[in-house]
Amino acid sequence: MAIVRDIMPAFELFQPATIQDALGLLDRYGRDAWVLAGGLDSFDWLKDRVKRTKVVVDLSQIKELTGIREAGGGLEIGAMTTLTEVVRHPVVKAKYSILSEGAESAASPQIRNQGTLGGNVSQDARCWYYRGGWKCYRAGGNICFADTPTAINREHAILGADRCVAVNPSDSAPALIALDAQMVIRNSKGERTVNAEDYFVGPEIDITRMTVLKPGDLLTAIRIPATWAGAQFYFEKIRDRPVWDFPLLNVASAMVVSGGNIERIRIVVNAAAARPLRLTAVENAVRGKPRNAATGELGGKIAIEGAEPLRYNGYKIPLMRNLVKRAISGVEETKWT
Amino acid sequence: MDLIEFATSPWGETVPIHISFVLMWVAAIGGLAFLIGHAIWVKMFAKPAEHPAPVSKELAATIPAKVPRHSLASRMFHWIMSVAMLALLVTAFVPKAGYEFAWVTYHWIAGLVLTVSIVYHIIHASFWLDFWAIWPDKIDIEDGKRRWMRATGKDAPAPRKFAKYPMENKLYHFVILLTGLSVTITGLFMMKRIRTPIFTRNPYMFGDMTWGLMYVLHGLAGVGLIGLIMAHIYFALRPEKFVITKAMIFGSVDREHYLEHHDPERWVLETTKKANEQRSGAAV
Amino acid sequence: MPEKSKAPAKSKAYRLIGKNYVTPGLMAKVTGKAKYAEDYRAEGMLFAKLLLSPMPHARIRKIDVSAALAMPGVKAILTGDDVPAPADAITDMGQVIPANKLADRGLTNNPVFQGEPILAVCAVDELTCAEAIEKIRIDYERLPHVVDPLVSLRPGGPNARAEGNTWIRPVAVQGQPPQPPQVKEIKWTQADFDAAKDGQLPMGKATEEWAFGDWEAGLKNADLVLDETFVTPNTSHQTLETRTAMAYWQNGKVFVHCSSQSTAQTAPAVARWLGLLDEKGLPDLSKVVIISEYTGGGFGSKITASLSAIIPAILSRKTGAPVMMRISREEEHFIGRARPSLHARVKVGFTKDGRITAIDMFGILDDGPYGPQGDLGQSARQVSLMYQPPAMRFRGIPVLTNTPPRLSQSQPGGFQGIAVLEPILAKASRKLGIDQVAIHRINAPVGKAPIGPAVAGKRAYVTGAYVQEALDRGRQLFKWDERNARPKRSGTKARGIGVATSCFVGGSVGFDGLFVIRPDGKIYIPSGVGNLGTDSVTDCYRVVAEIMGVPWEKCEVSWGHTGRNLPWTAPSGGSQTLHAMTRAAYVASLDAKDKLRQIAAKDLGGTPENYEVGGERVYRKGGGAGMTLAQAAKRAIELGGIYDGHELPKGINKMTATSAGAMAGQGLLAVAKDSMPRDGQTHSFVAGFAEVEVDLETGSYQITDYLGVADVGTVMNPRSLGGQILGRSMLGIGHALGQKWVYDQRYGLPLAKRFHHNRPPTILDAPKHMQWDALDIPDPETPVGSKGIGEPPVAAGCMAVINALWDALGDDVFRRAPVMLDTILASLEAGKPMEEGLTAHV
Repeated sequence: MAIVRDIMPAFELFQPATIQDALGLLDRYGRDAWVLAGGLDSFDWLKDRVKRTKVVVDLSQIKELTGIREAGGGLEIGAMTTLTEVVRHPVVKAKYSILSEGAESAASPQIRNQGTLGGNVSQDARCWYYRGGWKCYRAGGNICFADTPTAINREHAILGADRCVAVNPSDSAPALIALDAQMVIRNSKGERTVNAEDYFVGPEIDITRMTVLKPGDLLTAIRIPATWAGAQFYFEKIRDRPVWDFPLLNVASAMVVSGGNIERIRIVVNAAAARPLRLTAVENAVRGKPRNAATGELGGKIAIEGAEPLRYNGYKIPLMRNLVKRAISGVEETKWT
Repeated sequence: MDLIEFATSPWGETVPIHISFVLMWVAAIGGLAFLIGHAIWVKMFAKPAEHPAPVSKELAATIPAKVPRHSLASRMFHWIMSVAMLALLVTAFVPKAGYEFAWVTYHWIAGLVLTVSIVYHIIHASFWLDFWAIWPDKIDIEDGKRRWMRATGKDAPAPRKFAKYPMENKLYHFVILLTGLSVTITGLFMMKRIRTPIFTRNPYMFGDMTWGLMYVLHGLAGVGLIGLIMAHIYFALRPEKFVITKAMIFGSVDREHYLEHHDPERWVLETTKKANEQRSGAAV
Repeated sequence: MPEKSKAPAKSKAYRLIGKNYVTPGLMAKVTGKAKYAEDYRAEGMLFAKLLLSPMPHARIRKIDVSAALAMPGVKAILTGDDVPAPADAITDMGQVIPANKLADRGLTNNPVFQGEPILAVCAVDELTCAEAIEKIRIDYERLPHVVDPLVSLRPGGPNARAEGNTWIRPVAVQGQPPQPPQVKEIKWTQADFDAAKDGQLPMGKATEEWAFGDWEAGLKNADLVLDETFVTPNTSHQTLETRTAMAYWQNGKVFVHCSSQSTAQTAPAVARWLGLLDEKGLPDLSKVVIISEYTGGGFGSKITASLSAIIPAILSRKTGAPVMMRISREEEHFIGRARPSLHARVKVGFTKDGRITAIDMFGILDDGPYGPQGDLGQSARQVSLMYQPPAMRFRGIPVLTNTPPRLSQSQPGGFQGIAVLEPILAKASRKLGIDQVAIHRINAPVGKAPIGPAVAGKRAYVTGAYVQEALDRGRQLFKWDERNARPKRSGTKARGIGVATSCFVGGSVGFDGLFVIRPDGKIYIPSGVGNLGTDSVTDCYRVVAEIMGVPWEKCEVSWGHTGRNLPWTAPSGGSQTLHAMTRAAYVASLDAKDKLRQIAAKDLGGTPENYEVGGERVYRKGGGAGMTLAQAAKRAIELGGIYDGHELPKGINKMTATSAGAMAGQGLLAVAKDSMPRDGQTHSFVAGFAEVEVDLETGSYQITDYLGVADVGTVMNPRSLGGQILGRSMLGIGHALGQKWVYDQRYGLPLAKRFHHNRPPTILDAPKHMQWDALDIPDPETPVGSKGIGEPPVAAGCMAVINALWDALGDDVFRRAPVMLDTILASLEAGKPMEEGLTAHV
């Protein structure tokens, strides 16, 4: 079949007004249903005719899926809340600033106005072979084109690769994991919650999915507990251009320091593997230690243990080491005279 | 239903990528249907086994109480292989059936175990065992024809007793050999596509089409093995064959079984050979 | 050693020239009312969409379109068999220039790059087109491909085309028309490759070579010789407006709405592509109307619109309905053209005070599948001007690759040449302990500086160069010495400053000026210049108002439509326009003044010499009788003949004559060809200054300051000039920061083909502080003194940033552009360059 891009094929569009109706549609159409949030991932696929669907269930009309509410001492953020709303929300800014920083680092202002938090965490891999319509493992094929002798893979994984070397591109995901958020998932059988760090799926488990969501499932909300409210936060995203680009690597940490020592810490990196990586070994190693450069360096070293570079992404190893270091001990100040 | 899944290569060419995983269910259901069918057939329609003339007393005297059938080495090979095979089937198909786990590493390790044990078996069988014992010979083919004619109600002379391995055993070995070699040889090449400490990855060792066909062959052999292994386990557990299963555990069959089912002239035991040698020696 | 420049006095104060004004298209652009090609609709309009080759190199055995044609709504399918073969060109003198039969034809049965258009489907809407395309079956025979020029030069390496892998230009024979270039095969030997040390460019057989001076002695006697390899990126033009076109036919005349850099020049090009020729074989302009009122950028890729515009035109003829073919961003990657990369290795000798003694330059140009491009020769030519080597040798080879076609991009060749020389100048400054500005200054061209190799024993020279003045101005404005004295490291940050000088052709001559003064007293000026955002479409004609002494508000410039009587106009490319068309406007204004004086003398007595023109009047010198321009226009109509255009001067172009003829009788018609003398070749210059701050823990960097100082003659429109200096600097800065192509070599397919992956710079990549200045020294060889600015800021922007990076990071971090954080971080970590210096498209 000759290939043609940039023309969206026809599909049946549903715009349910309630979660119940949406779940009914997802149940009815099963694998044939495509869940549409902000559309920034979906329309890429559909417009290029790389992935096709018979039915699109657009969530944009479901009011219950939007908004940020205080709940259980923490926050509950509707999955369809736009990134801009997340960035601007006063409580998020005041108590969970790492999340507003993460969300603000995504894409561009226009994209953040349209893109949703649920969509940002659930988006598909951005590997240029996969997105280009190359039939790779992730697309149901039998090869990873990005892990071959001639592949150009500077944006790919240094950890957790299993056949596929794509990375998770979300900027809000590491912040949510650092905040110990819970993902609320509903399907026609009921509701379940999953820890943010368990929401993501690596290729070793399922090479064609990024999250635990299966046909019929809907991410409805993200709950942020009060556990880390007002903690010391660090978020940094490294990318080629200061706007639009997905992370080459990002890091998020939440830390409670008492008496100069790290009492509690959660630290997460993304774009290093197919799923955001919570660095528990680093957390264990630095807990109880003074928050200083030496501890930061220790954390950085532990973080990159087992990292395997591809032909063009070796830089990600020192980058991850340095970002983890900064996430623990901060950036050294510059004093230009 | 498509048996093979095709994809568009980066150059826009249509290439096979692997079998349709529906075939996994086809093989499992087909295997199950065969077992049930066979069990019913045995119960309802099978004629009682014919007992050809008993062997001479002289010859019978040379048969020990326990007739050795499988050496320890052969048995070890069989069981190692069977564990590897089961591990391969589980790691290949259970995730596809919906129970997801990280299967690739286990799969290739089991595959390597299987490959090594097959290589060992080929060498062992070629140089230490009676290599031809497992291959159907003329008599097997003739007897096969006779059995078929008699089963379909036609006139034919009674088939003779088996040599060391019954005909169906030999045929099974032949089929499993083909599928086993297909699955291991393709599997070995496929290891060039994944990260292992053994090979340098090179997914571009072959072209898209060659790789595609290799995946299809691996898949076909794999789903074939679902059916074959199901049948194998079923027969191993059938009461009338259980004596053979026991032989695969303990190494021998008893004298009665030997005399009833096997032709001592086609499966010549060491003890018989020795007795014959002594006799001919005495005659001189 | 170049002498100190003697700049003429600062340009005299003009009434309009050098002043900001509101350009006529401005409001339409900011309010969204401006109509680009895609914004037009015509009754019964059909759509067309392209089927692109999935393979980088193939031959089509069979195309089966039956299923597609059977679909309701599908109107026609156009294949490579339906487009005209490249036609021979015929000069005005009747000389036949044979066509390059290996040139791009728009649609092909022998695709030579992935994404090359194979056929176009025309249907009632684009969705139908797409569905029809998916039903088309094409049987391809895949052929060997290559996307890396060095791979093609290896012994036994694949060729991008069946005929070979390099272009050979036949030697010109005096009196004979130039023969088309030919594709031949050249392979280098293994020994050629083995001779190159790690990171060095191998050098083998070249196809182009020239030299001047004793370059060998120059290198031998030098105090310092640097031998450096540097690689520049392939960069798509990536104009914001893709090359969408809509066409329809009326009474045998085709109307094409397209995106073009130069309205007047597009008409003959489209006529030739469509085979619409007159009995002499010349483009029949009576059969083509080009409408291109607004163009969303060209950068050299739309100088005469685009070849793809003929596809809707032919489909429209076939279907009898208007046809629009919209070009998507991805299609734009394939057919939108790109700058060819240059792999270069250059040996430069320096005296210990920094003066260049000789240059030995070797270059491989990635020429794409069609060509040959002029970038290779131009790169060396501009180097010979910019750094004024007393002796130089150049060798080069263009190599064909199965990648999208290349075309001139802002500063074509000049960019690549300066990009490979600047790193050496900066390195020499570090090695010799000479300040960067000083080493640029000592090697800068001055005045009528020589350029290129000797032809018939004589080297050509430029009209004027004031690079030293630009460097001096920049040094002061940028506070160079103050910045240079500051510390370079603090915490995890490093800082560096860089300067680069740049040059390119800044103007051409020989075009026509045309306008009419109507009895309403206003001046009506048809502009054949393209309206691509540089404002030269109207800037040139400020000269008319200036010289005629008329308020700008009384001049009406019309543009964007070849049905509106355009004069023969310079193509808006290569920074020719402002220079060429201010000259044309100038001569037409002189013609108008002449005619006004004659009319005044006829009516009011005396001789024309007794009269002068000003204040919208022609009047007797020293006061007294006169008439308004309105009255004179009315009189011109009454007088007829030369005055109202019924009689036209000889020597003007046929296009101008036709237009002037159509305007005859409207008023006082001014028409003239620019045949004023010019001693030298017009070139423009820019000095760029940049400061960068690098985060050593992440490799990311930011440009904190940038300054561009231009030597572009008289400033015509300061706001527009500033926009051009900084905007074009950003184009170059993009080449430094991240803009490039990425290809998978096994499949020969692009991985980066849209903005997101090709990474042109964004507004947030722009330096935190940017400023510009212009010397405003008139060019001595043109009446108004203005030169073009489009080209030289590109390399100045790019290389000022790169030289600043070297200043911050030292010599051993990178060897090619763009410089991205992965390279910086990996190299700093390893203590040696960690990038693949020579592999193409990584």
